[in-house]
Amino acid sequence: MMDQIAEQESLIGQRIPKPDAPAKVLGRTQYINDMVLHRMLIGKILRTDRVHARIVRLDISKAAALPGVHAVITGDDTPMIGIGVNKDNPPLKSGTVRCIRDEIAAVAAETEAIADQALALIEVEYEDLPAVFDPAEALKESAPQLHEDKPGNVGLSYNISYGDIAAGEAESDVVLDETYDLHYVTHCCMGPGCTLAEFDGAGKLTIYSQTQYPYNFKMDLAPTLGIHPGDIRVIQPPVGGAFGSKLDVYPFEPICAFLAQKTRRPVKLVFSREEEFIASPTRQPVRAHIRAGAKKDGTLTFRDVNCLLNNGGYTSWGATVPYVMMRTFSGHFRVPNVEFKSTAVYTNNPFAGSFRGYGNVQATYVTATLMDKMAEAVGMDPIAFRLKNAQAPGEVTPQGSLLKDCALAECITIAAEKTDFLKTHAANAAVQDGRYRRGIGIATSIHNAGGAKIHKSDGCGTILTMDDYARVTLITGASEIGQGIDAVITQIVAEELGLPLASITIVNDDSAIGPWDVGVHASRTTFIAGNGARRAAIKAKAQILAAASKEANVPAEELELRGGHVVQSDNGVSIVRLDRLLRAMHFAGEDAELVMVTDYYEPPSEPEGDNHYGDMSAAYAHAAYVAEVEVDTMTGHVRVQKMTVVQDVGRVVNALGIEGQIEGGIAMSIGYGLTEDLRIEDGIVKNPSFRDYKVATAPEMPEIAYHFIENDEPEGPFGAKGIAELPAIVPAPAIANAVYNAIGVRFDNPPITPEKVVRALHGGPPEK
Amino acid sequence: MSSKSDISFTLNGQARSLVVAPAASALNVLRHEFDLTAAKLACGEGECGACTIIVDGASVCACILYAADLDGRDVETVEGLDAGEALDPVQAAFIETGAVQCGYCTPGMVMQIKHLLAENPDPDEAAIRRGLEGNICRCTGYSKIIDAVKSAAQTLRAG
Amino acid sequence: MNEIANYIAVDTIEAAAETLAAGPVTVLAGGTDLMLQTEAGARTYAATLMNIRRVAELRGVRLEEGALTIGALTTVTDLLNDATIQAHCPILAETADQFGSPQIRNMASIGGNICNASPAGDLLVPLIALGAEVELVSKPDGRLHSRRAPLEEFVTGPGTSALGDAEMLTFIHIPLADGAAGAFRKFGPRPALEIAMAAVAVTGRIEAGKFTNMRVAFGAVAPTPVRGKNVEAALEGKPATEETIAAALDCVDADISPIDDVRASAWYRRHLTRVLTQEILADVFQV
Repeated sequence: MMDQIAEQESLIGQRIPKPDAPAKVLGRTQYINDMVLHRMLIGKILRTDRVHARIVRLDISKAAALPGVHAVITGDDTPMIGIGVNKDNPPLKSGTVRCIRDEIAAVAAETEAIADQALALIEVEYEDLPAVFDPAEALKESAPQLHEDKPGNVGLSYNISYGDIAAGEAESDVVLDETYDLHYVTHCCMGPGCTLAEFDGAGKLTIYSQTQYPYNFKMDLAPTLGIHPGDIRVIQPPVGGAFGSKLDVYPFEPICAFLAQKTRRPVKLVFSREEEFIASPTRQPVRAHIRAGAKKDGTLTFRDVNCLLNNGGYTSWGATVPYVMMRTFSGHFRVPNVEFKSTAVYTNNPFAGSFRGYGNVQATYVTATLMDKMAEAVGMDPIAFRLKNAQAPGEVTPQGSLLKDCALAECITIAAEKTDFLKTHAANAAVQDGRYRRGIGIATSIHNAGGAKIHKSDGCGTILTMDDYARVTLITGASEIGQGIDAVITQIVAEELGLPLASITIVNDDSAIGPWDVGVHASRTTFIAGNGARRAAIKAKAQILAAASKEANVPAEELELRGGHVVQSDNGVSIVRLDRLLRAMHFAGEDAELVMVTDYYEPPSEPEGDNHYGDMSAAYAHAAYVAEVEVDTMTGHVRVQKMTVVQDVGRVVNALGIEGQIEGGIAMSIGYGLTEDLRIEDGIVKNPSFRDYKVATAPEMPEIAYHFIENDEPEGPFGAKGIAELPAIVPAPAIANAVYNAIGVRFDNPPITPEKVVRALHGGPPEK
Repeated sequence: MSSKSDISFTLNGQARSLVVAPAASALNVLRHEFDLTAAKLACGEGECGACTIIVDGASVCACILYAADLDGRDVETVEGLDAGEALDPVQAAFIETGAVQCGYCTPGMVMQIKHLLAENPDPDEAAIRRGLEGNICRCTGYSKIIDAVKSAAQTLRAG
Repeated sequence: MNEIANYIAVDTIEAAAETLAAGPVTVLAGGTDLMLQTEAGARTYAATLMNIRRVAELRGVRLEEGALTIGALTTVTDLLNDATIQAHCPILAETADQFGSPQIRNMASIGGNICNASPAGDLLVPLIALGAEVELVSKPDGRLHSRRAPLEEFVTGPGTSALGDAEMLTFIHIPLADGAAGAFRKFGPRPALEIAMAAVAVTGRIEAGKFTNMRVAFGAVAPTPVRGKNVEAALEGKPATEETIAAALDCVDADISPIDDVRASAWYRRHLTRVLTQEILADVFQV
């Protein structure tokens, strides 16, 4: 008992492998796509081949008669209650189809081959209706109306107004008027869409889902199935990525449940990759018209923004990205006068959902390139111009975000210094010839880093229990989607309780066991679930130290947990081994106690009200990325050679994890800026395959240099902020700015494809 | 001639036999007949590499490979590396360098890297990147996967 | 995807020819296109699927009498690594190096690439520049027949070739020209796996300061890979100078007929073809 336990090196900031990595590299992990349930049937969906049509005849009789088919359902077999953000999307359509995704029937069969045959036997006749694809066209009176209850095809609209635009314009020495066309891209999760559903015979549903928001998911799924949300159990097996694609209920999941209900057997429904490209929600395309001004001393004066959102046939989270766009337009740099209007307009296109970066990708592409344009118009260098307008700690943005700490200026300064930016920028601009031209560009942004209170709660529940061997089970409402929250929470708990990482098991895949969490989005999980885990661990520690104190007659304040022991803080002498103490606590007869604690962490932020004003996040973070590119002026190919990352992270918790998230985000943003383009023409997806939709591959990734700003966010767990969306936001405009530095051409319509570059440089005819 | 195909082959070092439909893909047969689900169906077109296995020493996409053609061949999947005692150096490197996030692409990556390092035990960075060009990862941005290859190559060369 | 009534794996050319003579056959060679196309419904299986991958004599590279003979089952990786190819026909190794991904290279066969007859079929382009011939066998009357045909005439349209119903491609024959240089370049938006937006192969040499025996082929810019006869004429016998190249580039348009599609516009394809042609002529022929 007189063992002396040395101080342990802190786990925070270390390179910690993910707990599930061994099973994954061994190939033992059973993903949702690998799952087989006893007696399960295979579900498949018949999707329309029209973009706007009335279903005149739908005959499922031959399909239903096929041996091996157990059910064929259509909209008529369902309550026809809409799902999605506007509840305008019935899982199975009857009557009218409005986009190429529309689900008009579904089958459950014994094998995939039989299900495919059954789909081919379903007979459909349509009366084609006039279609509209462009949101501006869809707003016209003459346009076909997609939803009876949405006159003028107008979906969600947002509007904020701060200050006085006219006054701001009057003060301006320079006014720019620009239009940006931000395009369709898609998540390309390596694991295609998949769900399994089974009913228990007493009306309760278990759904195996890729969802990122299991608790509100129940609430959103129940009405369309006609059951009570409390009768739904959501199990989350390991998934092959999510990136925001699973934050809403999409038709395939209730359809799978309907099939399970009808057949009274488990049903598994999996997308092919082609179906994934067509049916999975996209990023929200935005046409942004912005007028913005500055004084000749570089001070920004106003931004007047009008956004037209192509809503597609139905509404999902894509239509709400203005929530985040507004924050960027009003808070990315100091702008005293801001007006923002957006309208989502129904068209006969596939619709958008949430996607990593959520509106900030689009808004930062605009604002970060506009800063460069304005700097040039005013005659200031891109660094000085940005520094002139960077907020200071303590400023409140027009939308009410309190920038308690604001590292924007620090990010810019460090990024410029690390890359010798101004000198390189000037040298590149001076080169006017040669086939290969170099460019350097900087972009910054601001993002939520302490959650985002867009619901009534932005909280996360945690339950922590310890067994007789001092092993910890940490049950969290926060989902693991591959982003590494399992590793972060393990570190936090191990750190607080002085235990080895291997002592901690995370449970977060069953809604019947785990407490509520609003969902994996808004870069909130390290901050909020991390805080919840830390608070729970602190409560457990208090309980443990109280028990140890009583036993050893030493005040609890003089004790701490270290290396699996309770030790005296001043000299590290062990009072008792932790597992022994826990057993003593457990087997104490009438006074028995187990360590079982709970926590619900609600971050100190304000809910976003209808006026969209408020300090919606408990923390904000900034980043400045510098892209160095080489442009081949003959083929138009843009190669990103280096990306310098300067990011305000509060504190690095898992160094492997944070780098991994940033590297993955950079790959996505390079795709957004240069190669990814989901081509939708007349409502049809023209390139639904990896052959023709180009995500980044290994040879295309740049060298990456890091500089983390760790100023310790007081509210964050061990000082950490949320980090994972900024890397998917900032690189693309940095690349666009770098391309301008290289060849003097601006691209306000990503992706900057080789063909677009060549057209700009070699005078190609206008694109059709 | 027959409407089915009898195949006998070596699967992860063990002799196996099966009757398969002529048009069945090796991926479907491995996943459903042998329960070897590590190789993933992610695109079904040979475009993403998530189904990479090694056949007669060469890495191939199982999704476009005919199961019937496995007859007489030597097939290795990632489960075959799970020998129980020590981790394969490529797998160990993946864990240590943080090259796994969602992990869906990981089995295909591991098999492609095994093949790459068997052909070229000391690849430079460009050769590593080219060696991975047929394997898509949406999570990691490839940096740590490349680090893992370098680390594993070093371990393997040290014997 | 339709049902296959019969499956057979053959291990000799003779057996393959006999099977072909007996009825409609779909041939399985490398297999990188077949599963894809049948799953997508772009192609239907014949009643018999014949796997020829075990016909050992169809894989490999031989040098005989100043010509290369390449078996139809030789994989793209084989071409990349083969010492004979590297020594005598490096343009094929260069093409193989830019072909698909490692996994696809390991599976794809030269014969399959030819018979698939894609307008963008990578290997077709240098093979046409090299003046390759295909050898085709059949056994219509109990005896094995073999014929040769210039590859340039063999591809007849997008996805169609002059392969007879009961014929099989066995070998590719490439006459070797002493002292010939050459290169293959293609461009697409991703290093691997892209179907080319434009591909160019040029072979020939410089003799007494003049372009000599110049052969040019283009891929992905016409319904089939094509010879660049106008470009060749502008080069042949002319001084190897930048001026000659510039004049030759002006002839590119006359040789190609690209289309607009989801990957690229016709205008850009024409531009790329000129860029790639200029690159090869300048870099390889050191002009």
